[in-house]
Amino acid sequence: MDGRTRTDRRRALEAVLRDVRAECGPGLRVLSGEAERRAYETDALTAHRVLPGLVLLPADRSQVAPIVRACVKHGVPYVARGAGTGLSGGALPTESGVVIALAKLNRILDVDPDRRVAIVEPGATNLSISAAAGEFGLYYAPDPSSQVVCTIGGNVAENSGGAHCLKYGFTSHHVLAVETVLPDGSTVVLGSDDIEAPCYDAPGYDLRGVFVGAEGTCGVSTRIAVRLLRKPEAVRTLVADFPDVPSACETVSAVIAAGIVPAAIEMMDNLAIRACEDAVHAGYDREAAACLIIELDGPAQECAELFEQVSALCSEHACTRLRIARDAAERAAIWAGRKAAFAAMGRLSPEFLLQDGVVPRTRLAEALAGIADLSAAAGLRVANVFHAGDGNLHPLVLYREAEGEGPAAETLAADIAELCVALGGSLSGEHGIGVDKACSMPKMFSPADLAAMDRLRAAFDPSGLCNPGKVFPTPALCGEARGGAYQPHPLEQTGKIQRW
Amino acid sequence: MVGPSSSASTPDGHGSPGGAWSDGAPAAPEQPSGPRSITPTTLKDLRDAVSTVGAVLIRGTGTATTWGAPVRDARTTVSLAGMDRVLDHRPADMTVHVQGGIRLDVLQEELAERGQWLPYDPARSEATIGGLLATGDAGPRRLAYGSLRELVIGATMVFPDGAIAKSGGHVIKNVAGYDLAKLCHGSLGTLGVVAELVLRVHPLPQTSRTVMVRDVNTALAQKLTWALTRSAIEPTAVEWCEPEQVLAVRFDGTADGAAARAAAARSMLTGSLAELDAGEAHSFWESHAARIVAEPGDTVMRAATRPGIDPGLVGALSAWADRAGVKALLTCSPATGAYTVRVTGADAKAHAELVKNWRASVEAVGGFVMLRRRRPGVDAMVESWGRAPGSVEVMRRVKGNFDPENRFAPGRFAPWF
Repeated sequence: MDGRTRTDRRRALEAVLRDVRAECGPGLRVLSGEAERRAYETDALTAHRVLPGLVLLPADRSQVAPIVRACVKHGVPYVARGAGTGLSGGALPTESGVVIALAKLNRILDVDPDRRVAIVEPGATNLSISAAAGEFGLYYAPDPSSQVVCTIGGNVAENSGGAHCLKYGFTSHHVLAVETVLPDGSTVVLGSDDIEAPCYDAPGYDLRGVFVGAEGTCGVSTRIAVRLLRKPEAVRTLVADFPDVPSACETVSAVIAAGIVPAAIEMMDNLAIRACEDAVHAGYDREAAACLIIELDGPAQECAELFEQVSALCSEHACTRLRIARDAAERAAIWAGRKAAFAAMGRLSPEFLLQDGVVPRTRLAEALAGIADLSAAAGLRVANVFHAGDGNLHPLVLYREAEGEGPAAETLAADIAELCVALGGSLSGEHGIGVDKACSMPKMFSPADLAAMDRLRAAFDPSGLCNPGKVFPTPALCGEARGGAYQPHPLEQTGKIQRW
Repeated sequence: MVGPSSSASTPDGHGSPGGAWSDGAPAAPEQPSGPRSITPTTLKDLRDAVSTVGAVLIRGTGTATTWGAPVRDARTTVSLAGMDRVLDHRPADMTVHVQGGIRLDVLQEELAERGQWLPYDPARSEATIGGLLATGDAGPRRLAYGSLRELVIGATMVFPDGAIAKSGGHVIKNVAGYDLAKLCHGSLGTLGVVAELVLRVHPLPQTSRTVMVRDVNTALAQKLTWALTRSAIEPTAVEWCEPEQVLAVRFDGTADGAAARAAAARSMLTGSLAELDAGEAHSFWESHAARIVAEPGDTVMRAATRPGIDPGLVGALSAWADRAGVKALLTCSPATGAYTVRVTGADAKAHAELVKNWRASVEAVGGFVMLRRRRPGVDAMVESWGRAPGSVEVMRRVKGNFDPENRFAPGRFAPWF
């Protein structure tokens, strides 16, 4: 904390409110009552809750800069928020801080079918971009499971992925420019200067590349230029059942070794298959130990050729049933089952924690065996549904809060994430670090690595007010207990940066 | 200072025993008098080499030393020629971990032995991978595969104070921490040394086909480009050259698949069409790269605009070139809005005049022009960089935070910082 008293902080919030009311003009919605603010105390990582001091909903993007300026002037921390679907607590507010909720800035401003570019506001949903581009035969490629509701501003902050990023890459690969209100209150475009005429190249440091995935710690986006892709000529999808998890893992390796880059390869274990099937009735085999969903797309002839090869490889690797989607409807049903996986877990357990560690693809079987061991040792069930093609696990740790299993579940989830790091992988493939995994960062990065990242952060946000307490481990969050490797950063010691 | 064990900025960083002098002369390490060159072979030597006093120029194979504004008073050149190895190629994971000093063509040969490649084709194939990241270079195939920034999944950097920091890792999907590799993309050696990179590799396509259309003027080039990118045949590259008025379209894929796409392109395109055989295609793309690299004494401008060929810009280029009495060869990637202009003939004054005038035209449509080469004397008459971007203040702060003494390639981004 910053040493200010509760009264100081309340006065600062009142000063912010005075300033923004004077500068923003009409249309700005202010939520100051406790019940209204309560709706913003958490994102989809509900284990963490902090009641914000004030929630502001700009009706026009020109209102964002005055809000940021007021926050910085009065020393009040702030966080931007989209749909609140984040899974790592990236949009968790700071106590007595401001939430800038961008949901009303949801317009698709322009779709240029020739240049294959869309200019959108940050509160536009991921799927609304593809919907607007669809009439031109185009779409926006990154497809997080929450794409119906999650916003592009949140996707930019988290560098979101999705099932199809194996072939098409992440948000970072599809964002050409971001108009941003920096923590100093100025509005600049990261990427080429004119957001309405975005270029692939921009001179100087790739600040757009830094901003995408910085989890909202480098500024608040107000307009985003994204690349659109032509819808593929052909799409082929299959579901292959396997008698055990290692056979499914070997099949993934065999497909990749054959020089094929599918659009997606997803794996589910038996627990996940049963939950999904019961929820959506997508035609999965409830008895299968594991299944793969493999999708290929591209020019028709190549897609057909490679799909034959993939089908053959599944059969060679002990596949017990091969189901090939006959049409778009069947493909949609298969994906509906997969994308409902997390919601379906409610059928198995009242509570669950979701991890998102990554391992090198060749160590998938090892990672899954390790998770099974950790699960058995903790006495908690873990369901696995994940992006197998890129090694991005999504273990779901099932627990009952009422039985007091919460702390054991959190420990197990963190152990799984750190197991991924130990296997040469990463703490997070697409959900972000946020507050959820900040304390595990020293397992993956050295103090020098973290200090370099902090220097970068300080260049964007010298005052440390823009979404503080995320990504990097802090004493307040991590204490001495977990990880144990936290050391104050050199810039903290010299007073160049501070933490909340 | 970062990390208790680092010896950055201390005098003992000079001339460490492990650092080999590239000229073989054991000059006195305590008091380097003239410019010197160090070729470290380990990460630690590299750190010691940069933790010196005075300005430092990082060098790979030296193919881009003229990009951007000239560096002032580099006392030390640190060559990455001694850090040129593949550290770990994992074919089944489709990743490769390399030192920053490995040449792209050497890496491609190694990868090809396992049926893989880095789908990245800048004109300077002999450049080092670290240098290519630092220059933010991209080739025609960016249209399909993205640029190097999309293919780097992990990086180890050495910063001016000797701090060694990494970001990313060995997995192709990873959002843990800030992406320091992106920061180095386009930094032209002003922030740190790209010591190691982990790259995502792809399976080598079975074949590559090239369809060429002649007599394609600006308007037609624009029309054909949109026709290609609107279609489902997924060209890997579309390039247009002026004044030759040639449009080249490339397809990578399976043998039958690429053939089918090339055939579809032939039926879609109009004009004087030909599909090149393998030998012809090879020579065409080689000469295409040579045209972009150009020769000492030429002036080379690199411009970017939004995707498309702006007829106004092409017209302006030829008009200004005529007026200045120079020859301007334009190579354009219309679908991604990249232009390279090689200027030959006449004198430095004429080159500078063309740069100044055409830059104004490009900036008027939201683009930028930087110099990759210039005829001697041009620098006195025109800046290497044009109008500063709105985000230049953040860039200055980044530079200040990583290199507070402004030792790495000072002057490279002049007049911006």
